[in-house]
Amino acid sequence: MNTPFRLDDHTRRPQPLAPPPADYFATLPRQIMARVQPEAAREAALLGWLSALPLPLRTALASVVVLGGFATSFFLSQPAVAPATAVSVAALEAVPRTEMVQYLLATDSRVSLTDLAELPAADHTLTDSFLQASPDELQDALDAQPTDETYL
Amino acid sequence: MEDQEILVKFADPATRNVAFNQLVRKYQSKLYWHVRKMVIDHDDADDLTQDVFVKVWNHLGNFRQDASLYTWLYRIATNECLNFLSSKRRKFFLPLHDVAAELTQKVEADPGLAGDEIELRLQKAILRLPDKQRLVFNMKYYDEITYEQMADITGTSVGALKASYHHAVKKIEQYVNEESRHD
Repeated sequence: MNTPFRLDDHTRRPQPLAPPPADYFATLPRQIMARVQPEAAREAALLGWLSALPLPLRTALASVVVLGGFATSFFLSQPAVAPATAVSVAALEAVPRTEMVQYLLATDSRVSLTDLAELPAADHTLTDSFLQASPDELQDALDAQPTDETYL
Repeated sequence: MEDQEILVKFADPATRNVAFNQLVRKYQSKLYWHVRKMVIDHDDADDLTQDVFVKVWNHLGNFRQDASLYTWLYRIATNECLNFLSSKRRKFFLPLHDVAAELTQKVEADPGLAGDEIELRLQKAILRLPDKQRLVFNMKYYDEITYEQMADITGTSVGALKASYHHAVKKIEQYVNEESRHD
């Protein structure tokens, strides 16, 4: 009859599994260093020049970067196009209607939905100053347009 | 080179590489075998051991010396092993027994155990333990780590570790005896 297995009586093998390849522990440090070196080199390239600067200079540089960020965001937040002013409206009123119509007919430009979408909110007083036509006149003008052309 | 000297030299950029190289050479064998006994396969153990040292490189600068370097390294290696085994289960939707079966197959194919029937049964019995209990067993039985150090590594109380090891030994002896009766 077999004696029952007891772990205390069993001869312990510190490494019971087959050993790794013969030169494994000789080459492992090199492999690991190769893996960490690119990270170290990249880190050094990015931050090496910064860490070489003296502390007051680094603090000043950081302040300049922060202030520059604020200034840039301020300038970028300004509206790109100034809204129409009273002077520009007056100048538009001074243009004769016939000349304005000739200009619009001569140019090949078309008003698109995008143009309308980019316009600021309609200003009734602004349009009233140079759009002086009754609803009937406007309807006649629209009816006179060829139906095969889509402007909007 | 002593651990303290390694840490001091690692903190200095001029001697960092030398210090880390020394650290790898000092602990590579212990960590490799710790990992290998958990994942069985050499290639997996190789990948994990390298990952452990890459993590050590990345975090050694933040190492707080309230624990020893030795237990800190073991903790990283232990976490890597547990994450590897649980991700293996998640990735392949494998239940517990299938991972154990896969590891058992690798143990049976291991040339180091060829011809040693009792040792093979012992290894198969160890693989039947839950991962964390297997870690405790390996650290106590093979690496002869004290319960206090194991408590640092695993974040478990000494009492719980003693109980876990005691139960692991009982389960292993029972399994080996049952297997012997079947033959």
